[in-house]
Amino acid sequence: MLNHLTANIRIFFEGAYYSYRALFRWLRPATYLASKVFAPLTMMIFFVYIGAYASGSNNASFYVIGNSLIFAASSGIFGVTMSVGGERWSGTLPYLFGSPANRWAMFVGRAVMHILDGMLGVFIGLGWGILLFGLDFSHTDPMALLLAILITTFSTSGLGLLMGCLSLITRNVMLVNNTVYFSLLVFSGANIPVAELPRWMQSISQMLPLTRGVACTRTIINGGSLADVLPLLQVEFLIGVMLTILGYFLFKVFEIQAKKKGTLDIF
Amino acid sequence: MDAITVNHLNRVFKSTDGIIKRKVKEVVAVEDVSFEIRQGELFGLLGPNGAGKTTSVKMLTTLLIPTGGTATIMGLDVVKDAAKVRPRIGFIFGGERGLYWRLSGLDNLRYFASLYYVDEKVAKKRIPELLEMVGLKGREREKVEGYSRGMRQRLHIARALLHDPEVLFLDEPTMGLDPVGARELRTTVKNMQSANKTILLTTHYMFEADALCQRIAVINKGKIVALDTPEKLKENVQDLTVVEIELYGISQDRIARIKALDFVVDVSVEDRDQRQVLHVHTPKGPEAIPVLVENLNGLRLGRIITREPTLEDAYVRLVGGTEN
Ligand SMILES: Nc1ncnc2c1ncn2[C@@H]1O[C@H](COP(=O)(O)OP(=O)(O)OP(=O)(O)O)[C@@H](O)[C@H]1O
Ligand SMILES: [Mg+2]
Repeated sequence: MLNHLTANIRIFFEGAYYSYRALFRWLRPATYLASKVFAPLTMMIFFVYIGAYASGSNNASFYVIGNSLIFAASSGIFGVTMSVGGERWSGTLPYLFGSPANRWAMFVGRAVMHILDGMLGVFIGLGWGILLFGLDFSHTDPMALLLAILITTFSTSGLGLLMGCLSLITRNVMLVNNTVYFSLLVFSGANIPVAELPRWMQSISQMLPLTRGVACTRTIINGGSLADVLPLLQVEFLIGVMLTILGYFLFKVFEIQAKKKGTLDIF
Repeated sequence: MDAITVNHLNRVFKSTDGIIKRKVKEVVAVEDVSFEIRQGELFGLLGPNGAGKTTSVKMLTTLLIPTGGTATIMGLDVVKDAAKVRPRIGFIFGGERGLYWRLSGLDNLRYFASLYYVDEKVAKKRIPELLEMVGLKGREREKVEGYSRGMRQRLHIARALLHDPEVLFLDEPTMGLDPVGARELRTTVKNMQSANKTILLTTHYMFEADALCQRIAVINKGKIVALDTPEKLKENVQDLTVVEIELYGISQDRIARIKALDFVVDVSVEDRDQRQVLHVHTPKGPEAIPVLVENLNGLRLGRIITREPTLEDAYVRLVGGTEN
């Protein structure tokens, strides 16, 4: 029993490690660094100036925080989607599904590295904020900030798992993925305050991951305490859990369907 | 005890085409297939393209649900006890896909070892042994994308053996290998069998089945058309002689005319560069030659020989091919 548990934990983490390596090891360190360090910078500059121009205010920290999170979230979503959906391209699905490995450990493990990767992305984004836009952390509770970022990247990776499964089923990953990316851009409050959206759009914002995470992170950086944001963070966490479970459920449905219809290795 | 039993196995694929008017097309890939494989036996499933070999293997390896019939591995049902079957079997589908190309060979093996719950200590010992066995020692830290096709195929074999399975399914393991590589692989397969594993191997090549397998099932259009030892299969054609006639540009109705001759049992045509070679199976022996030549008049003929039938002829006769 215990042995089996440790073995599943191994599948979980080795799957995490190897799928991440399979996805990113081809990048040379320089390319990897550029994509991690400089890409968020350009995105941030774009939105800080556009935002300042459009709203007339000069509230850089609003855009810096929002875009750090959204950048990390989108790379997490793409990453997880690709590491699940990529199995179809590499032709490894028959070998994965033919193995006795615990499907839950195999599937959810795919998200782990991307959560860490996403967190790193947020830190880099915030780092640029300090360097270039004078982002002020003097009133920030670091532990609360860490928790908020962790939970936010977790919930967006959950979305990635769900998308990854969709990509196994539909094959139109990029289309679906881009739609999700742009809806996060619009609905999450990263660039447009949720309160300024029309009512029907606000209700979409409330259902998405990231929205609450962005709000919590802003509150914490501006001096709020963990207690202030805890209710929202709990919901964000719950959204992540639900997305993960839904993704896993779809994963199982895919496995069963593929075996019935014989579509396991069609790509 | 039988390691594998297959009872009236069936598989129908449905595919839809047309956007507006959805037509459902049905392909019967495997039809009423039954056989048993003894423990420790090396069994060949031989058939032309599209015969249903891969489909059969997929059903036996729990990757495809049969639309009819049942099958067991070591007494376990492949559908109902799929989870119990999986740790006891290893399988490879010919070709290069199914590996993580951006990982090293070693990382591929390590990851699959964990998926098969191979104890880490055991894996540490077994992986180098397997690398040695498949001849990848020294190359294991290179990425798979830099491997040759044969190396990838051999990595697949090592992967399939990680958990020391009792039953092995090898779907066209020599596909795409050069003659030397294919021969090495056949030696590896032979060695695996002497390690007392039950092996089901599929192939297009009669000689491969002949060289390796104790029994051969010939499958054509989803059905088993013969199942016997290579020797017995040869006996089927032993009363016959094969007349080989080299010629240039023969038409279909000429072939039909030859086929219709009363002393001709079977005819197959093989393309060789510009020429074709007509293989005529007949009990009459060399005496058939004059009549055959008469029926081919007007055509440019090359060498004509008579020879003993081979297993290849038995196979061609079974699958009724006029292709090569
Ligand atoms: N997933 C699928 N969906 C629809 N039809 C399929 C599917 N897989 C196989 N078939 C059909 O089933 C038949 C048998 O195919 P199968 O792959 O089993 O043949 P095979 O003996 O392995 O051939 P080959 O020697 O070319 O590998 C073919 O007509 C094929 O088109
Ligand atoms: Mg095949």
